[in-house]
Amino acid sequence: MLAELINPYYLQVGCFILINIILGISVYITLSTGQLSLANAGFMGIGAYTSALLTIHFDLPIIIGIIIGALVAALCGVLIGIPTLRLQGVYLAIVTLGFGEVIRVIFVNWETLTNGSVGISGIPHIGREILKTLQGFGFQPMSIGLQNNQFIFLSIFILLLLITIFVIWFFRRQHQSRVGRAFAAIKLDEKAAESMGINITYYKVLAFAQGALVAGFAGAMYAHILAYISPADFAYHRAVEILIFVVFGGSEVIWGPIFGAFFLTLMPEVLRFISEYRYMIYGLIIIIMMAVRPQGLIDVPLLKALSKKGRKRGQKHGTGNHKSM
Amino acid sequence: MLEVSGIHAGYGKIQVLKDVSLEVEEGTIVTILGANGAGKSTTMKSVSGLLKPSAGKISFLGEDVTGLRPDQLLRKGIALVPEGRQILAGMTVLENLEMGAYHRKDSEIDSDLNKMLERFPILKEREKQLGGTLSGGQQQMLAIARAIMSRPKLLLLDEPSMGLAPLVVADIFKIIKEINQSGTTVLLVEQNARQALKISDKGYVLETGKMVASGNATELLSDARIMEAYLGKRSS
Repeated sequence: MLAELINPYYLQVGCFILINIILGISVYITLSTGQLSLANAGFMGIGAYTSALLTIHFDLPIIIGIIIGALVAALCGVLIGIPTLRLQGVYLAIVTLGFGEVIRVIFVNWETLTNGSVGISGIPHIGREILKTLQGFGFQPMSIGLQNNQFIFLSIFILLLLITIFVIWFFRRQHQSRVGRAFAAIKLDEKAAESMGINITYYKVLAFAQGALVAGFAGAMYAHILAYISPADFAYHRAVEILIFVVFGGSEVIWGPIFGAFFLTLMPEVLRFISEYRYMIYGLIIIIMMAVRPQGLIDVPLLKALSKKGRKRGQKHGTGNHKSM
Repeated sequence: MLEVSGIHAGYGKIQVLKDVSLEVEEGTIVTILGANGAGKSTTMKSVSGLLKPSAGKISFLGEDVTGLRPDQLLRKGIALVPEGRQILAGMTVLENLEMGAYHRKDSEIDSDLNKMLERFPILKEREKQLGGTLSGGQQQMLAIARAIMSRPKLLLLDEPSMGLAPLVVADIFKIIKEINQSGTTVLLVEQNARQALKISDKGYVLETGKMVASGNATELLSDARIMEAYLGKRSS
């Protein structure tokens, strides 16, 4: 029965939703200091290529590859975060967009290393590695009524789900901590934050590095799930796609990008006939959101209203105890 | 307490301050006066670390603090209430006050917070309100209260009376005087010369980046030549 429910296609869509949620969060983190970064597709590519190349050429375990990939992306985040400290708004967006393109062009032209625009195939697959390891201990998917194929996708999905929950948990905690307060103060007013004794250089670069780390991590996961990457995966389109998650879902609270990524990844899958018009719809969404609801669908007042409603309903049923936000 | 000697500072190629020196003694209120563009705010920015002087020396409590970052200076005890108040408009009054204690890790933050709310009843009344919804005078009080939350030894106030109604201005000056009496040294920048000098011990007059006069507040107030030349005629 379980076996019939587990459809690799659904699981794969689920995995992409989770990866996109992580990518959406990466933009949200940088944006929570008021810095709009369009370089996250580039950071994603750095993470993906680093991990793919390390695992293929040096036979490193996937976990090590992913960690190094994320760290290299974070390092690039620091390197681009420092010179762009003085830039704001549209200027920062232009520079980071340019950076993303530079990364893509490097992937295309450094053929000896990256295989150029053909891309890299035969990247070790996380699900298969997990299965192999477990089989080493004498485990067979059939024993829980699953085929190998189903088990592979199920294990990736569960792994990604745990990681996504951890990422959400971590950044919600951070949002309520000293670091989160500093981010919020910088976003509201840099001069005021500075006069309150907040080291704005440190926190702005930190936000940039965190965003890059998370994007690089998502990229590395992406590489080991698809087992194939090419420069086109990390091009301008990807940068816009990630940005749309945040623009559509909302950038004030972490639930915004999560909802945006969830909805906009699922939409073209459920409504197959519109997937060809995807980018047209994205453009339309940006225009409509800018005009009607610039803060995105989910904002603080909406969450407050929802939690109030929930509390009321909770009281009626005598369960109560809803946590706000 | 604070000694500024011969600083030069500016923005890019534009030199604003040319050889500015001043001294603030512990427990006093010192006012810097001058017309628009005289370099008052630039002096404040240099002292608070927002701007690095290109030459000269600033020492605080006998220690050379030239070129330190604002957050380092705040830890040493210099807090700035910036020009135009710079309230965190999207945070509540309470959160604004808490942010003032950002660098502190001691256990007395809460009691300081309560003291501050007692000291400014209007802030207590509006503690849950967003900072941006306060009136100008209330925002100025919030900005001052927020700076005091860092427990400064020296409080820098950049044009606290800017854009406020005369009655509110009188209130703000009263508050500054009280803060000083409770032990905080104050360095004030003002265009509102007479009122500022009335609560001050000492005054400096800046003109196009140069210190052109200094003296006891009472001396400056009674010096007809200075009052007329730099601070405008008495209109009565």
